[in-house]
Amino acid sequence: MAAIAVNQFAECVTCHAWSPDHSMIALCPNNHEVHIYKSIEENWERIHVLQKHDQIVAGIDWSKSSNRIVTVSHDRNSYVWNQEGSVWVPTLVILRLNRAALCVQWSPKGNKFAVGSGAKTVCICYYEQENNWWVSKLIRKKHDSSVTSVAWHPNNVLIATTSTDGKCRVFSTFIKGVDAGKPRKSGSGSSLDAKFGEQIVQLDLSFCWAFGVKWSPSGNSLAYVGHNSMIYFVDHIGPSPSAQSVVLRDLPLRDVMFVSEKLVIGVGYDCNPMVFAADGIGSWSFVRFLDEKKSASSSARYGSQLTEAFGKFYGSSKQGTSNDKTRGGVHDNCINCIVPFKTSSGSNKMTSFSTSGLDGKVVIWDLKNQEDLLEYM
Amino acid sequence: MDSSFNDDEHMSVIMKRGSQGSSMVSVGRAEDCSGNIAILRSLVRIRQLFLNVKLKGENPLLTQLDPLSSTPFLFVLSMASSLRLYLTCIRNTLEAAMCLQNFPCQEVERHNKPEVEMKTSLELLLNPVVICRNEAEKCLIETSINSLRISLKVKQADELENILTKKFLRFLSMRAEAFQVLRRKPVQGYDISFLITNYHCEEMQKHKLIDFIVQFMEDIDKEISELKLSMNTRGRLVATEFLKQFI
Repeated sequence: MAAIAVNQFAECVTCHAWSPDHSMIALCPNNHEVHIYKSIEENWERIHVLQKHDQIVAGIDWSKSSNRIVTVSHDRNSYVWNQEGSVWVPTLVILRLNRAALCVQWSPKGNKFAVGSGAKTVCICYYEQENNWWVSKLIRKKHDSSVTSVAWHPNNVLIATTSTDGKCRVFSTFIKGVDAGKPRKSGSGSSLDAKFGEQIVQLDLSFCWAFGVKWSPSGNSLAYVGHNSMIYFVDHIGPSPSAQSVVLRDLPLRDVMFVSEKLVIGVGYDCNPMVFAADGIGSWSFVRFLDEKKSASSSARYGSQLTEAFGKFYGSSKQGTSNDKTRGGVHDNCINCIVPFKTSSGSNKMTSFSTSGLDGKVVIWDLKNQEDLLEYM
Repeated sequence: MDSSFNDDEHMSVIMKRGSQGSSMVSVGRAEDCSGNIAILRSLVRIRQLFLNVKLKGENPLLTQLDPLSSTPFLFVLSMASSLRLYLTCIRNTLEAAMCLQNFPCQEVERHNKPEVEMKTSLELLLNPVVICRNEAEKCLIETSINSLRISLKVKQADELENILTKKFLRFLSMRAEAFQVLRRKPVQGYDISFLITNYHCEEMQKHKLIDFIVQFMEDIDKEISELKLSMNTRGRLVATEFLKQFI
């Protein structure tokens, strides 16, 4: 079984994040609160409730480097929470937004975070020592609609955004004093010399809303999804990007995650994580659903012998049961959040991740026993 | 409806379930289901609808629902086609359209209202879809990022049915809060409307919601014809009783 732990935390979970040591989870139960659960002897116990927002919390991120949580909400505010003793102390972030904040992510170094908003702007926030608060710099007038998702490039400078105008954009967020000196050049080339807010590239692949952008671990490529049931993979970010679009035969996706350079998991309205993989020449294709209930629809080319047989066995009766396909899986409502969980000990490979959805479950998935996927990891 | 549509050109859509489990759609005139070229010509006239939009089980129609285009897509199922086909078509469209999410208003501060009603930002709306069984029975499905509106026109063959439908659906609409997804006022040109928001999708299961709509459509026809029957019976009884005094 790919799902190793299923926990029902609430009626509905809008987003969740893990503490750096994976012993605690912060999640929003579809209201203005953030609950923190700790794993105590195989049970999850609620140890903190963070109450400061007054509308639904839309995004949570827990810094990997410093033990800080950032939350954003539809009430236009954002707080950075620091643990002092046994309490979490909030610090208000002056976002200067006049619409809802929709998504947030810490930069890889943990010294900045980006907030996407319904005001068609992106805020890049950083800590100012002399004033003792978080200030934000805005990227204005670049988006034509709400910013649905933001993702940091591993170099701590570039961010990618998706928006409901269907476009994916990459910006430089170089801030003097925060990003010390000139960052060294890496795969993305000269784009690192750009000043704050400069648009590196605009990808106009989707003609419907775009969601869930993510960079690959190396930062050489990125993936995002469109509401027209497509997933887009973009390589060579820069002046001449190359893109691949993969059309799905199922309902649209909401979010994606890179497991490795050649393996991507997508989650969405089908209530079942989808696996995408790149072959030797780098062309992406859909492999199969991760939840075994639906492995009948796996493509025979990639499936192991067992799933191939299952595919043949169930293939004939599949159409008839298409109406109750959502029943019986691990998730039974739209999955809208996917975050990495643990990397396997010894190597740097990510092997497990967690998903949460409108059904209120947080599910941890493990890819270790998925033999047919090992070659891509 | 497209004005170039005449009665003799009613298209019939036949869905066939292949043995491999894949469904196939073939389109033809009601009388003559062979002439491929004639079919193709008709297809082009209705905006290449059937070439693009397959009625296939799990194929999301959303690929076709690009925003910024105001003309609704049109499905026409011939008179001969059964109610089941009409309902299957609606069910599949709803399945694809009911992919909603929480989305705050980007025009008004601290608001979160169904975009399909407010229509403040054009880019947040998808193409509306009209599914017609015949001129009297159709269904309009409008979708936006956080809400979905389904409007139904119920069959009304004569004046009596017209009155009965009007009264019955008014009765339901006045009790809309009991149904949660029912809209208090129907969209213009339709008899009854449902408004489904992302909050309904969070509380209720999607397939149950779709089942409810489809069940409602099945029942409404039955209900109206039963009402009509009892109305006629009652009328006959009253008339008999009344005329007895003259014997």
